Amino acid sequence: MADDKDVLRDVWFGRIPTCFTLNQDEVTEREAEPYYLLLPRVSYLPLVTDKVKKHFLKVMKAEDVEEMWLEYEGTPLKWHYPIGVLFDLHASNTVLPWSITVHFKNFPDRDLLHCTSNSVIEAHFMSSIKEADALKHKSQVVNDMQKKDHKQLWMGLQNDKFDQFWAINRKLMEYPTEEGGFRYIPFRIYQTMSDRPFIQKLFRPVSPEGNVHTLGDLLKEMYPAALPNDGEQKRYQVVIHGIEPLLETPLQWLSEHLSHPDNFLHICVIPTPTD
Amino acid sequence: MSWMLDEQSFCHCCQLLLQWSQQLKDGWSWEGVQGSEDGYLRKTVLRSVVIDSSPVWDLEGSGSQSDTHTSCHSRPDQQGQETEQALCVAPEDGDSVRGDIDDDDDDDDDDDDGVCTVSGGSGQVLQYEYHILFSCSYGTPVLYFRAVTLEGRSLSLEEVWSSVHQNFRLRLQQSPLNTITLQEHPLLGQPFFMLHPCRTEEFMRPVLQAAQNQHRPVNYVLSWLSVVGPLVGLEVPLKYSTLLHPAASLGSTEPD
Repeated sequence: MADDKDVLRDVWFGRIPTCFTLNQDEVTEREAEPYYLLLPRVSYLPLVTDKVKKHFLKVMKAEDVEEMWLEYEGTPLKWHYPIGVLFDLHASNTVLPWSITVHFKNFPDRDLLHCTSNSVIEAHFMSSIKEADALKHKSQVVNDMQKKDHKQLWMGLQNDKFDQFWAINRKLMEYPTEEGGFRYIPFRIYQTMSDRPFIQKLFRPVSPEGNVHTLGDLLKEMYPAALPNDGEQKRYQVVIHGIEPLLETPLQWLSEHLSHPDNFLHICVIPTPTD
Repeated sequence: MSWMLDEQSFCHCCQLLLQWSQQLKDGWSWEGVQGSEDGYLRKTVLRSVVIDSSPVWDLEGSGSQSDTHTSCHSRPDQQGQETEQALCVAPEDGDSVRGDIDDDDDDDDDDDDGVCTVSGGSGQVLQYEYHILFSCSYGTPVLYFRAVTLEGRSLSLEEVWSSVHQNFRLRLQQSPLNTITLQEHPLLGQPFFMLHPCRTEEFMRPVLQAAQNQHRPVNYVLSWLSVVGPLVGLEVPLKYSTLLHPAASLGSTEPD
């Protein structure tokens, strides 16, 4: 049986093979070749697509270039979601590589947040970490950290340094033994069947009676439609980091091992493929 | 003792605020989310604003505050929505600004209303939309807002900053965790500006403690809104307090 620490590494080093193609309406001086890249599941698009931008800027005139944005099959991709979440939500069960279209004009500011520099990504990332700790530890652990520790979390993510990141992150995964787990589990459940972007509410890892809550318990409370009725065919897949964990898995374990670097458990509910 | 709000109390406070808003014709409505009990308070306001594009303030300086004055006249239109005139004036380039909120610095050029016009910058009518949501992570309400021109163009973060009264702008810039950032609206999924909620408990604690000590009723959402709303141009009429404390209004007259 794999060691729990191996799970942390597998999660961190997950990759998605991606093919970037320039939107055909962009004005180019010559034809642009597609660009292939392995994207880290746990990172964010603007943090890892500098090479993509440089590649396509070579065939374009400066005056035709505005803020870059990415789209998959007509859906603008939200850069502030982890890459793996975007893939699982929109393109899992499709043939690899993931085909993303690159745009340099007509930024859809009713759909997407602007991202003009890495400090915007850092601010967003740190804000998620702080929110997660507010739920887990009433912010006590993150507030007791020094500024350099916060910086180390960000640098670890930015530079893909697992050990550097987890040297600090392990403190955010601790809890008093007598509690049995975190105060509340930081999670978000995503789906594309309605306009609501995600479900996020308070949920304890252990019931007042001392029962350990599972993934199934969370879904039953927050999104019962995701669970199959007795005897029925499974209509939805519940996906975390591209896999379907057993519904019996303790939520506390999932939070400690399958959270993203932002310390949130991002859960995608997608329709089961019919073929 | 923790002063964190829970979701049920939040909804209750909102429903009360909604009733008072209807009495005062203040324009708030409750928007539900399909298929759940979640929702938010919403209000839209038309404002005539001067967008100034001055460079970053010199926070160290202690020179006198220049001709800055904001005058707000509000009158409800026929649909009960408020139309506000808010003139935000830009001082001359290179002026440094004191950090204190100081109402006494009227310029000699002020006319009897205390309204100044600015030399640079253009005035335009903007539609501001304000939403009050509940943050379960922080146990507080959160203010989301967006602004569009009448042609439907969304305002950028820089433009929104420049339409915040400069006294508040300084305060907000000095405490980044109370700052305005662009975020995804948790229920609608669209970009909105947000005032970060993580410091809310700090400033609400003395308010709630005082109310408890004096055995006064308090509506968390209303008190919170009266603090954060004005930072981003949202007026909260004083008349709400007479509805909260009906016994306190002597010789009561109908709100006009």
